[in-house]
This record gives sequence, C-alpha cells and structure tokens, in this order.
Amino acid sequence: MAVVESPLAGKILEINITVGQTVNEDDEVIILEAMKMENPIFAPADGTVKEIKVKAGDRVNEGDVLVVIE
Amino acid sequence: MGEYGFSLHPYFKEMPGIGKDLPRELKQNVDEIKKVERELADAVRRVTDAGKAAQDINSKGEMTAWQRIDYLVDPDTWCPLHTIYDPDNNEEGTTGVIDGLGKIAGKWAVIIASNNQIMAGAWIPGQADNILRVTDMAKRLHIPLVWLLNCSGVKLTEQEEVYANRRGNGTPFYRHAELEKLGIPVLVGIYGTNPAGGGYHGISPTTLIAHQDANIAVGGGGIVSGMSPKGFIDQETAENLIEATQKLTSAPPGRAEIHYMNTGFFREICETEEKVLDKIKQYMKDMPAYHPDFFRVADPTEPKYPASDLYSLVPFNQRRVYNMKEILARLFDNSEHMEYRPDYGPEVYCGLAKIDGYLCGVIGNNQGVLGSNYPEYTDQYQGIGGKLYRQGLIKMSEFVTFCGRDRIPIIWLQDTTGIDVGDTAEKAELLGLGMSLIYSIEQTDLPMILIVLRKGTAAAHYLLGGPNGNNNNVFTLGTPTTEIYVMHGETAAAAAFSRRLVKEKQAGKPLDPVIDKMNEMVKDYYDKSRPIYCAQKGFVDEIVRYADLRSYCKAFVGSVYQNPTSICPFHQMITPRTIKG
Repeated sequence: MAVVESPLAGKILEINITVGQTVNEDDEVIILEAMKMENPIFAPADGTVKEIKVKAGDRVNEGDVLVVIE
Repeated sequence: MGEYGFSLHPYFKEMPGIGKDLPRELKQNVDEIKKVERELADAVRRVTDAGKAAQDINSKGEMTAWQRIDYLVDPDTWCPLHTIYDPDNNEEGTTGVIDGLGKIAGKWAVIIASNNQIMAGAWIPGQADNILRVTDMAKRLHIPLVWLLNCSGVKLTEQEEVYANRRGNGTPFYRHAELEKLGIPVLVGIYGTNPAGGGYHGISPTTLIAHQDANIAVGGGGIVSGMSPKGFIDQETAENLIEATQKLTSAPPGRAEIHYMNTGFFREICETEEKVLDKIKQYMKDMPAYHPDFFRVADPTEPKYPASDLYSLVPFNQRRVYNMKEILARLFDNSEHMEYRPDYGPEVYCGLAKIDGYLCGVIGNNQGVLGSNYPEYTDQYQGIGGKLYRQGLIKMSEFVTFCGRDRIPIIWLQDTTGIDVGDTAEKAELLGLGMSLIYSIEQTDLPMILIVLRKGTAAAHYLLGGPNGNNNNVFTLGTPTTEIYVMHGETAAAAAFSRRLVKEKQAGKPLDPVIDKMNEMVKDYYDKSRPIYCAQKGFVDEIVRYADLRSYCKAFVGSVYQNPTSICPFHQMITPRTIKG
C-alpha cells in the first residue's frame, strides 16, 4: 500500500483520479494550490486508488494523507 | 568519431542521463502554445511581406534581401534574430534590416542585410539600435560580421528620429572599427545606391565586394543639388533641382568604376548579384576558425527525447509547475548532464551538458516544492521554485565563476518570479548576493545566451543571464510562453492603488472607480508582456518555437568555439572535477 501525502500546506484544486482507477507511478493525481502556484502531486507507485481522503477546495497541511493506493 | 580524439573523455563522453518518456500528450496545452506560434508566424509574415513586392524588385534584375540571405547561408543553419523588432512602431513594422546567425561556407557568421523592399533599404527609426545589437553579437562571439548592404540613406522625413544621438546612425561605423581593432573582420557585399549614411556603411567594413551597378558616396543627388538654399523653395530653385537631379540620375557619384579603378576601395567587382555572394562565400572559407571537432568533447548526438514533448511539458498555465530537468532532456545531446551541487540551493539547476558535441554550462530555475526546511534561514514560510533564495544565489555565483575559469559558455533557462523579499530575506543578504551574481557574471568575460522559458520578473530577470549584461549576453530568446514584466499586473495594481483604496473606503466613497483603474493596469501589464510585444520592444531578440530552441543553442555554442579569444585545456578544467568531488 502507498499513500500520497501533501508536500506542503495548501488548497486542493483538482482531483484527477477516481476510486478504483488504476494508476502508474508518477501519474499526476492531484493539483494542490500553494504559494500562488499549482503544484501537481504524483502517484508514488503503481496500483489502484483505494481511497481519496480530500475533495476539491479542501485546505490541507503538510504531511496530510490525500490518497491511498493499493 | 570525429577527426580528433577527445580530452577528458571519462567525464564528458558519457554523462549521466536525465529525463523520461512523456507520459501523455497534453492536447490543450499543445493547442494553446501552437496558437501563439501561429500568431507569431502572422507577425513575422507582416514583416516579410512589407514594402515593395519581391517580383517588382526581381523585375529590375535585383534580388531581395531575403533572397540574398537564402543564397548566401548554408542550408538549415539560418537562425533569424530581431525579425519583428520595431521599438519605435514604424509604419513599416520593422527597423529595415534583417539579421541572424548562420553558416557561410561552413563557418558561423553574424549576418545582416539592408531590407531593399523597405524604402530601398533606408535608415529608419530603431535601425541603429538593431545594428548595434548585431555588432555586439559579432564582438561577443568573435566571429565575422557579414553585411549585405543596400542602403539609400536616412529616411529624410524622420531624420530627427534617426540621424543623431549617442546610439544613432553614425555609431555602427565606430562599432565596425572596434570589431576590426579586436581582429574581427567585417565583410560587405554592396548593392544599389548607397549615399551618405549608406556610403559610410559601405566604406566602414574590412573588405568591400561590390555589384557592378552599386555605388557608395559621401552624398547623393539630393544633397549635391541643395547646397545653396535660399531658405525656402521657389520656382527657380525647383527648376535647378530638376536639372541637377536629372544629371545625377544618369551618373550618380561614387560608382563602382570610381571605387574600383580610381580609389581601389572595392576589392572585387562582380557582374551579377549572385557572384557578389559567391565572393563572400570564398572569403568566408578563409576566415580564421578551428576545425569543428577541435573543441568537441564527444560526438554530436540528438537528445534521446523529442522536442515535440516540450509542448506538453512546459505548462501554458503560468501558475502550473513542471520539472525543469525534463526540459533539459529535450535540449541537450543524448539527454545527458552533470549536475553541480544538486543538494544545495534546490531552487536552481546548475550543470554541464553538451550541444552538438560541445561543452556548455546550463543554469535554470527549478520549479515546484523545495521541501519544508528550505530556505534554511527561516521557518516562517516555505520556498518554492522560480523564486531565488540565499543558497541558490551563492550556487550560481560559484558555478559561473568556475565556468569563467574553464571558458565554458553558458545557456540560461529563465522562469522566475523574483528574489525572496522581506526583512528575513534582507538579513539573509539576498540583495547583496543578487548583486554578487551580477559581479560574478561580469568577471567571467564569457559569452552567454538566455532563454526566457516563461516568466522574466523583477531583478531576477537581470541577474539570471539577462540581456542587461551587455558584455556577456549574446542574445535573448523568448518562447510562446514568455512573459516579461517588473512584477505581475495584480501585484503592481495592489502596490499602486492599495492606499487609494483605504482612502476612498474611509471617505465612504464607492470603490468601483479605483477597482476599474486597477483592472486597467492588470490588463495593460498583461498586454505589454506578451511574446510578440517583448520581441517588438527588444526585451528578447527573437521569439522561437519550442521545436527550434536547440538550433539556436547549436548556433550559439558552435559560434563560441569557432575562434575563441581564450581557451582552457580540457584536462585543466575544475568544474567537472568539482562536480565529481
């Protein structure tokens, strides 16, 4: 199991995956708005999306788990 | 394998690889970039179609400047510059000269031609500055300057904009003399009628090759006829002028036979336009140049990944971050590099790479998150790529100093939102370290080019290899995603109007008029930072399609290594050893 963590505090702008979807390592899964920039967050490993813990517009802190990949 | 072996081949022959295959094409991004490229192509077409039609010029037995360049320059080597440069908004939409880098008979030269479709190649506003940009390039690259002259002199209806001034129309003649003083030859092919300023243009180069119908003279017909003015024009003056002009039309001063047979200024006289260009090719063949393989550190190879990927990799959305190393992987030979201090100053990439088998230094702004412990001088906020912090500034100063010592030319890839600000940043010495970088660049005496990949903002635009470094920057390229301004329009509007907003609010007045002014300012900043505007005003020397960036890098690096003024033996270089540790 792998988790996608927020690398810094910010706001979730886009979620580009759905639960059950297959992803590959380095696929863009979430866009996080922070420090006026849109930062793509990538899948850390191949797998299937088991859980998405955030929705667009949510504010998150550094280290928060955003997605769980199985 | 080239004709020579390779020095220090364990370092350079095979460097570590960068980049990976593009996961997927981002169609919307590609479309947006290509739309700007089409707008740019339209702007270029307006310039190439300006003035007299090519068939009208050809029907007189003359070639256009574009045709002359096409005949002269080796296939697939022409890198045009300043194509839509027009800082004074001329009605012609151009400064009346065409220039760029190209190979002639296998050797790089800076090439400039009078555009004979625009007022017979007249000096028009902005032209002097365009020419000085070109002479600066020849000086910095230490390669020949080749002129294709066809200049009818000053556009007399705008003489006050053209003739005088410190960087006016006489300045290029001094620049030609300066190039000669530095051992850089200026070759000229002379066509048509070149009176006054055109005449000095013709006489100031090193070697004069003329078409048989060409002339150069101190003054033309109009000047000779107007020597005794009454202070006004009357019927008698007009009649005298007609008579004098008719005489001079049949025998203009400074004809080819005078400057070949009598003065000997012309070294060659050619019967056809093509033969003038053939002679220039012959002279270029004998210009000083190292064999292209002499300075190569490896065989030239194309990048592993195609340039077409750049259309997906560089986000058109300026707020979207990306991976700078993926850009480098599409520009440099075999997608290889050696990175300098990757764990220090993470907002900046510094490293060595190869272009066409030649070694070059590369500096670029990394993008995106830099880690929660950076910048190291504060725990109040996190750093982000595009901004500059203490370590990045120090790292760049170190790297350019090493490259200067090792005589390695530098390519800058700029995408910056500026230097970190505030008292914390001041305590971290960022103002002083920014200036230290400028000092370090100046001390290198190295040729450099700048590619403004996306943002060129604030003082960071100057110190990241900016065009303001006149002794180093050879030329600056923009791309379809370039935007250059002192700060973002919204930031500027806030800085300019925030106190006014407070005042209006306290007075109980409506805010809408101020808000409207702020939005006007935001729009104005946007409009005046677009790629085409940047090229017309000269913020950049050309806007280049992503697919063509590598060609310009090849022309730059090939020119630098053609006939350098100083060299560092490869086995005595320190930069690669410092990287290896």
